[in-house]
Amino acid sequence: MPVIELRNITGQVLNDVSLTVEDNEILALVGPNGAGKTTLLNVIAGLTEYRGEVLFDGRNMNGVPPHRRSVGYLFQDLALFPHISVADNIAYGLKVRGYPRSTIEKRVDELTEALHIGKLKDRFSYNLSGGEKQRVAIARAIAPFQKILLLDEPTASLDAQTAKYFRSELSALLRRLEITTVFVIHDLLGAEEMADRIAIIHRGCIEQVAAPKDVFFHPGTRVVSEFIGMPNILDCDECTILSTGLVEVRSGNMRVILPYEGNAIRKLAISPHDIYISDVKPPGPALNRYKGTITEIISMRTLVRAKVMVDGNELLAELSRESFDEMKLDVGSNVFIIIKLRRLRYFEV
Amino acid sequence: MTFRKLSITVSFAVFALYGGLILSLFYFYDGVLFFDTLRSSRTLFSIRLSLFTATVSTAIAVLVAIPSAYALSRFRFFGRQIIDTILELPMIISPVALGAVVLVFFNTPAGVLVQEHGIRFVFTVYGIFLAQFITTVGIAIRLIKAAMDEIPVRYEEVARTLGASPARAFMTVTLPLCKRGIIASSILTWAKALGEFGATITIAGSVAMKTETIPVAIFMRLASADVEGTVVLVLILIGIGLGILYGARLLTGKALPV
Repeated sequence: MPVIELRNITGQVLNDVSLTVEDNEILALVGPNGAGKTTLLNVIAGLTEYRGEVLFDGRNMNGVPPHRRSVGYLFQDLALFPHISVADNIAYGLKVRGYPRSTIEKRVDELTEALHIGKLKDRFSYNLSGGEKQRVAIARAIAPFQKILLLDEPTASLDAQTAKYFRSELSALLRRLEITTVFVIHDLLGAEEMADRIAIIHRGCIEQVAAPKDVFFHPGTRVVSEFIGMPNILDCDECTILSTGLVEVRSGNMRVILPYEGNAIRKLAISPHDIYISDVKPPGPALNRYKGTITEIISMRTLVRAKVMVDGNELLAELSRESFDEMKLDVGSNVFIIIKLRRLRYFEV
Repeated sequence: MTFRKLSITVSFAVFALYGGLILSLFYFYDGVLFFDTLRSSRTLFSIRLSLFTATVSTAIAVLVAIPSAYALSRFRFFGRQIIDTILELPMIISPVALGAVVLVFFNTPAGVLVQEHGIRFVFTVYGIFLAQFITTVGIAIRLIKAAMDEIPVRYEEVARTLGASPARAFMTVTLPLCKRGIIASSILTWAKALGEFGATITIAGSVAMKTETIPVAIFMRLASADVEGTVVLVLILIGIGLGILYGARLLTGKALPV
């Protein structure tokens, strides 16, 4: 079954990229714009020139043209063929590969049913919504029994709620069909929802390849840490179950309450932009609300990051320059901080 | 006057210019002569010859233009700029000059070889094909290239990843998508071939009942000061040309890119 190996890939923005995608794995390529994510997909598909080696199951694919690589590719712009119907779009790959008509019809039915687009078979792309186009394009990409699938921003054209639902549905489908998948996504949360591992790419170099939790709790390089938003990592000294689905975690003298149903939490990750700062005591319950003192101010273009000492832990918080100026904060200022409950990430024992 | 009104007025002015010129033909129109001329074997031969040669040379020009336009539209290769410039030759030099170039060629050893051991072009129907072909192929390539440029390369990339070879991707995706453009280009090429005169008379001459196309016949009538006869042939040419263009517009359901 397909294992993708990239060895010392160089070309365009890519700089000596080596990466292995395991059989049936779903790997997310995450990185800033212009990092080389799409170029890397094009290299795997054989659509761009490169130096280095691409191997599928140990077989060197260098010089093998795209149509002989058996790699499905969902382009960001979807590019459904406008001159043929949805059913013909999905059947296209099967037809050019010479599958018999009965197989083509069966496969089209199977995929349209799996992706809930059965009623769209006779429609044309210009009559479809963004979400429907997305589903048709995915069905078309995997229809010719492809064992490798490349997805470039598969949920880019969907709203946040639909995207979340679609990601879980797609992930389940890919696992059921046992397709080795590499997908590009700019949203780290989206990557975490779908991927077995995340590869962080920056300026054409792979910075880290790890399971989503490992990326958050053990960022391999400063670049990765910056990219994932410089999360505050708290070591948990004690974990007390408060009631069903709710625990209190102690880190130093700081106590954090969060929803959790497992056995024990070892680390907590809190993104700086998930910590609110206020110069006056905020109203409401004192849940995850702390008093602290600003120890350092890091000024950026539109944002300000402040290090706040809270019960023996130094937390990095992020706020807009406007709020920062309004509150007239400085090193030594006493502030209140609130941690958003739902955004906490935990690392289990 | 608003810009909208100004632009519409200008377009009507152009229409009035052509319409006025066509109307002026009727000053010398003679109904009896029109039908006599239309029924004469010489005129019928010219119409048949014009339609036949324009259709054949258009078919050849479009067949040559499709792969050439695709290459120019999709690939970057050595000499691309030179080819692109040469294609404009029929537009920058007059058809007579182009015909003269062909005549000169047929007087070189290579040209003589072609004439004696291949096809005899000078003063034959093949000369008409050649004249129409060389004056229209560049335009056909230009028009078809413009249609292909409109089709994103991405569609072919998708087809390739789905298992289609480059030729298959072209035949099943690019070609159907620019079908309208190719049809429109073919019609314009055909119209240009039908009205071709300069190169035709230079290469094929004006032998009655042999190489006399409608434009050549018009010239011959005018040269002998037969204004009424000229008017009749001009009206026939205009009728055929406009009829075909209008019919094609109805068939393709879209305005031609003119």
